[in-house]
Amino acid sequence: MSNRTWMTRSLAGGTALILGMTLAGCSGGGGGASNRPENELRLAVYGDAGNTVEQAMVDKFNETSDVKIVLDTIPGADYQTKLQTIIDTDSAPDIFFNWGGGSIANFVDAGLLLPLDEFIEEDPQLKDAFLPSVFETAVIDDKAYGVPMRGTQPVMLFNNSEVLKKAGIDAPPATWDELLDAVEKLKAAGVTPIALGGGDRWPTQMWFQYVFDRVAGEDLFQAALDGDTSVWDSEESREALGKLRELIDAGAFGTNFDSVKFTDGGSPALLASGRAGFELMGSWEYATQQDSDPAFAEEVLGYSEFPAIEGGEGDPHNLAGNTNNFYSVHKETRYPEEAAEFLKLMYSDEFVQEQVAIGNLPTTTNTEKFLDKAADPEYAKYQFDLVQKAPHFQLSWDQAYPPEATVTIHTAVSQFFSGDIDEDGFIKAMQGL
Amino acid sequence: MTMLATGKRPAPGGSTVSRPARSGASSVGRPGFAWALPATIFFALFALVPLAAVAVLSFTSWSGLGDPRFVGLENWETLIADPVMLKSLWLSLLFIVLGVVTQTPLSILLGVWAAGNQRNRAVLSAIYFVPLLLSSAAISVLWRALLDPNFGIPGQLSWLFGDGNLLGTQSGAIGVLIFVGMWQFTPFHTLIYQGAARGIPHVLYQAAEIDGAGRVRQFFSITLPQLRNTAITSIILMVVGGLTTFETVLILTNGGPGTDTTITAFYMYQEAFQSFDFGVGSAIALVLVVVATAISLVVVKVSGYDKMNSSLEGL
Amino acid sequence: MKTRPNYLAGVGSFLWLLVVAIPLYVMISGTFQTRAEFGDNGPLAFPTSFTLQNYVDAIASGFGRYFLNTVVVTVGVVAIVLLLVPPLSYAIVRSQSRAASFVFRFFLLGLAIPAQAVIVPVFYLINAVGLYDNLIGVILPTAAFALPICTLILSGTMRDITGELYEAMAMDGASPARAFFRLVLPLSKGGLSTIAVFSALQAWNGFLFPLILTQSENTRVVTLGLFNFQTQYGINIPGLLAAVTLSMVPVLLVYLFARRALVQGLMGAGGK
Repeated sequence: MSNRTWMTRSLAGGTALILGMTLAGCSGGGGGASNRPENELRLAVYGDAGNTVEQAMVDKFNETSDVKIVLDTIPGADYQTKLQTIIDTDSAPDIFFNWGGGSIANFVDAGLLLPLDEFIEEDPQLKDAFLPSVFETAVIDDKAYGVPMRGTQPVMLFNNSEVLKKAGIDAPPATWDELLDAVEKLKAAGVTPIALGGGDRWPTQMWFQYVFDRVAGEDLFQAALDGDTSVWDSEESREALGKLRELIDAGAFGTNFDSVKFTDGGSPALLASGRAGFELMGSWEYATQQDSDPAFAEEVLGYSEFPAIEGGEGDPHNLAGNTNNFYSVHKETRYPEEAAEFLKLMYSDEFVQEQVAIGNLPTTTNTEKFLDKAADPEYAKYQFDLVQKAPHFQLSWDQAYPPEATVTIHTAVSQFFSGDIDEDGFIKAMQGL
Repeated sequence: MTMLATGKRPAPGGSTVSRPARSGASSVGRPGFAWALPATIFFALFALVPLAAVAVLSFTSWSGLGDPRFVGLENWETLIADPVMLKSLWLSLLFIVLGVVTQTPLSILLGVWAAGNQRNRAVLSAIYFVPLLLSSAAISVLWRALLDPNFGIPGQLSWLFGDGNLLGTQSGAIGVLIFVGMWQFTPFHTLIYQGAARGIPHVLYQAAEIDGAGRVRQFFSITLPQLRNTAITSIILMVVGGLTTFETVLILTNGGPGTDTTITAFYMYQEAFQSFDFGVGSAIALVLVVVATAISLVVVKVSGYDKMNSSLEGL
Repeated sequence: MKTRPNYLAGVGSFLWLLVVAIPLYVMISGTFQTRAEFGDNGPLAFPTSFTLQNYVDAIASGFGRYFLNTVVVTVGVVAIVLLLVPPLSYAIVRSQSRAASFVFRFFLLGLAIPAQAVIVPVFYLINAVGLYDNLIGVILPTAAFALPICTLILSGTMRDITGELYEAMAMDGASPARAFFRLVLPLSKGGLSTIAVFSALQAWNGFLFPLILTQSENTRVVTLGLFNFQTQYGINIPGLLAAVTLSMVPVLLVYLFARRALVQGLMGAGGK
């Protein structure tokens, strides 16, 4: 049965009749409230360069299955919007990409997703195939709703090693004070210390995620997420904001970061062209740089963990970023068994190897044996180690909260960086979530 | 526009037998209302019915999942207390006013100039026309790339743009949107003024020349008054266009910095499709419709545009 | 009438030429450069090498398909507009019933209903009839929102047809339909081409309806392709510029081969 909403019903009742008649001739048989098509599973994924691997998996699956999977690559910028718009309609995908956490919490609340516990239990291989705890992000109310796919994407502090050398910085900063020191040296060398694509807003948010984690530990954000908004007004919160303000006021990001975007290549180009020393970015920075200049990515691009903050409560090895990507299954799907079969491909050697080759880092136990085949084995191993030894991996704020909070969070972080709002303004904005 | 100068009377039907006129009327039968029906139903279906649904939705809380829940006036109370909403209305108004005052004089001057028959003017007009060939999305994407502070035009002309933080300040971001709007839409308005200026009877200018009126005086006493109806059309199009500007904001500024370019039309999209609050989004949509209607009505009243038989011919 | 050269206007028009032409120059010249060259030399520099790779990349990323979709949408919208608007305008201009005058005001006000305002219900409507992610689902609302302006334009043209001409038709005892096909349509050619151009441009420019009403690669139109190209391949500015340039080509072809019709059509919007 299709799950048609009130909206659909009332509109359909009043007008679909007229429209249906008008269209009967030209709608190619699709007219009327169609149910899910037969022998078809619709798969929605985040559209980007990684789609080649997903297409290959789909092709592989379709070779042997009577139920064919149709891959829809939905453009990245628009992904979450599109998903929530269609998820409770007849056009919803059967299987879809997500980030776990807040990105699917609403869907679970609305009873739209299929719990996957049984499926995971029944297939011991599946559970063993993944690193422990990677299912966690997609566990809601003690039920698992996602099977990990693609990989993990920690945020790291990237640098242009040549620029650092010229400015007299011998090693990437391990502590906050070293970072401040590096900022001064880079300024003296006449470059922007840290490239920031503030126009996109989410790169700005990455600074908050790490500084809050280092200063206050992972519990503060978790408490806020669980509904205790008072933590935003805590001493630790104010200290974290003070640290950020200190960095901004030191001129670490230059003056025009709000006009720069990561997504149109502005900030990575700053780093690559030697006009900036650092960029805090997800692990995809490497692929981005490699795409435009392979030699730079291999030889000049450096990377390190986010610096420790002295006296802070957070473990300096904590990570933040996209803990994992998941596939979830829609409850209304016609073919749950076939969907499950498809999900099993997510830990197959073939899938993992191809993911590693394009720079992704699947969180499967067999990942390690393919690291040598990565585009840059050294980089892949470094990342894999980081993820393995991290005591806590904080999901990006905008994905930990449900999507409706995104605009508020993004606006608050960017206004704080541009000086439009101060500590109190930021606290107030976050408490309003 | 009129084809009457060359229009021949339609030849009578092949047969010379004329049927008797019905019920003694000497005039051809008037078309019935049925002629208007298909278009009216079609438009009602996609505009009026949804508009009614929007009105209903504005009293509900709904995220697109499950069923909407009636919440009475809650959304409206939220909106009234929402500083971003008020700001968005002011910004929309600012956009419209700045758009009209920058584009109108420019396109009148260019249009009148281009109406001359000189060859160089024809060539230049052809170049002026080019932005019209680009879609709003293409233009926004193009300017986004051109305006990168480090690798775009500002990076090369730092004497003019300073640090190039155009999209990072409110005045800069508004300036960019107005400028891009001007770049995009001036060609179109130039074209309609050009067409109108060509239609001004030459005798008027000849008479003025005999009176010894100079070029400037001719422009103000003949050209401008003759372009009045065209100006009204052009301004209405600018107002409606300005009020509904969407992809330019989405692609160039995403409403930022902060909420500094979040005009009402964009705010509606943001609340509905990014924050998934279809209730508040619908309330904003209604505000948008009311404002647009009010502005149209004012323009219509001021201009006498609704007198169907006179000035509407200007359109 | 003789005119002296107007130097002030000449200078002014030259300045505007710079404003229009410089971005276009950057756009075109950038498409022929490699990414590295464009990044190193800056957008205003004269290209020192020549490559067509950016166009190849843009086309390979699916723009051919997007073009086809946009053309389908444009043709569909223009067809609906040309089918619905002339009878409507005819009724508005000639019918003496109150209803017709009411309909006219209805469309006048319809001008003030922005597509954004109704996008949420339109989405559910299109979805309810199974036209989500289908080009027909884009065509229908796009055409509907082109109706008001086209109706106003065409009614303006039809009003120019004098009563005497109808009287002449009456001598032959012509029915309203006959008058419509034999008199009104032939004399409204100018207005018809204006609304065709107008609705075609609206369809060509359409962004919001495709954004909300489609999702898959198969139904992607050019404007969305550009939007996605920016976020997906953002770092490749010359590739992006090539995509923008390509998006202009079909309209450019129309402009080159049917310049008069296009320009006259657009001019028609302003009337006299």
